[in-house]
Amino acid sequence: MSAVPGLQADCEELLGAFLEADTVRFERFAELWRERRFHTIFYGRIRALERNKLTKKTLELAQQYFLPPYAFQIRVGALYLLYGLYNTQLCQPKQKIRIALRDWPEIQRFQQDLIDSQHYDAAYIFRTLRLARAFHFTAMPKLLNYRTKKKTEENEFKEEFKEPSNRVNSLITNDLLEELMNIHDHYQKMKCVISADKSQPDKALSLIKDDFVVNLKDVALDYQEWQQNRMKLFLNAKETGETSKKKEEETLVESEGSERANALARIKYKSYSAVIEASKSRRHRQVRLESSESGSNCGKSPSKSEKNSRRPQPAGRRDSLE
Amino acid sequence: QESHAIGRRPDNPADLVEEGELLLTLNIFYPVIFQKHKDHKPYQTVFVLGSQELTQLRDSISCVSDLQIGGEFSNQPDQAPEHISKDLYKSAFFYFEGIFYNDRRYSECRDLSRTITEWSESHDRGYGNLQSVKMEDYTFNDLSLKIGFPYLFCHQGNCEHIIIITDIRLIHYDDCLDRTLYPLLIKKHWLCTRKCFVCKMYTARWVTNKDSLAPEDPCFFCDVCFRMLHYDAEGNKLGEFLAYPYVDPGIFN
Repeated sequence: MSAVPGLQADCEELLGAFLEADTVRFERFAELWRERRFHTIFYGRIRALERNKLTKKTLELAQQYFLPPYAFQIRVGALYLLYGLYNTQLCQPKQKIRIALRDWPEIQRFQQDLIDSQHYDAAYIFRTLRLARAFHFTAMPKLLNYRTKKKTEENEFKEEFKEPSNRVNSLITNDLLEELMNIHDHYQKMKCVISADKSQPDKALSLIKDDFVVNLKDVALDYQEWQQNRMKLFLNAKETGETSKKKEEETLVESEGSERANALARIKYKSYSAVIEASKSRRHRQVRLESSESGSNCGKSPSKSEKNSRRPQPAGRRDSLE
Repeated sequence: QESHAIGRRPDNPADLVEEGELLLTLNIFYPVIFQKHKDHKPYQTVFVLGSQELTQLRDSISCVSDLQIGGEFSNQPDQAPEHISKDLYKSAFFYFEGIFYNDRRYSECRDLSRTITEWSESHDRGYGNLQSVKMEDYTFNDLSLKIGFPYLFCHQGNCEHIIIITDIRLIHYDDCLDRTLYPLLIKKHWLCTRKCFVCKMYTARWVTNKDSLAPEDPCFFCDVCFRMLHYDAEGNKLGEFLAYPYVDPGIFN
């Protein structure tokens, strides 16, 4: 099945507006839906066969946003979108929403989350869809179609919709920290038991930092904060970079980004320029300070390198305008 | 194209499809007869229930090679035999995941897959252990299948159809729930029928070779034109020719 032109853009626009509204209430979604008269999306095809195909493709596209790795708000928006599309479709009998077997546990967890966080409107809507028999329980998510394609189309989804993958947090979970804390306390107690003074462990036995669990938690939190700030910075920079062509605004973006870049460069310079003199026994292997222009780029995060690469662009654009 | 059976309920309540039944969607491809079909093979789409036996699917596959009538009948055109190939050569097999499911319901059925299994066992060809079992003992629920992977149906000795399973899902309230209608034909490729060379109106029923009266070889005729051209009023054969009964692939349209 070839993609329907404009369908993905429309859905992403609606979900993007819902994301910005920063709420998961259905009333807000319904307002956005009505503003756009989204039900007219089905008016394009008149003949029954084409109507069926269009509806199937629309539901299939919307269904993809309902599953991970999308952020919670997007998933709730996708649920509302599916509800709207399922009910406003013109096919008789209605085309169903295909959900694969492997996705059902995740969806049930999602429903439980909705109920636990008291988003009863979303939970009610999901229940309504279930009662209306809107789902097909399938083995595989995508219905196969046999047409030899010349090239495979790749789905490029918007980066902003995805929940930022936080690998540090998935590794250092709350459970893990709790367990570490317990083990640490147990360890301290054991040390006390075998020490001469029962109230505190022997000085000879202090081999680790006492508060390392707390430090670990702080480091993980810091990382999460940094990641969120970086996302915000990236989004702001992207907006200002796209809308402005004036040099002043570019330099503003540059200064934001270049502050951090300069700070990092300074630190790196300090560490790389201080050469430790080797001991006399290794005189023949003195450390030499190598200077490389690209050396400072290795450690930079991708967003900064993107900003750097964007700098030459406005010049090019202005040249073409003149 | 599925519209004719959507929501159907059976007259006999014993024929009602139960909840939890699996519905498989199969694409059965026609063997390539015409060269234009090489890149986009025509196929038919069939719905099958998980609890149905493989033999039920085998019986529902309509292939023109089953209707062929063997033999040359220029000398006795009225005596085209009653038996079609389907009655004479009843053997068939399915091949799924390394196992050949042979039709052994009738005594005439042979194990067509034996050639293949013997070939694979004769040397170390790297095909592992190919087994051969009876088709009538298995339902689709017993099989482990891959979606989108090509499997085989072979009948008439050498007529091979590729089978691909495109979807497996649970039966739904809106589906046809009359068990007697399954396997259910959903979609069929429409083939152009070859018309008689003379009248260009009726579908060809005879084909002639080495025909001194015909402008091309082979040449197709409908029954009426064939008799009018090749036989006189008393039924004597005129000219030299070989005549075979012809079944057009578009007969199932």
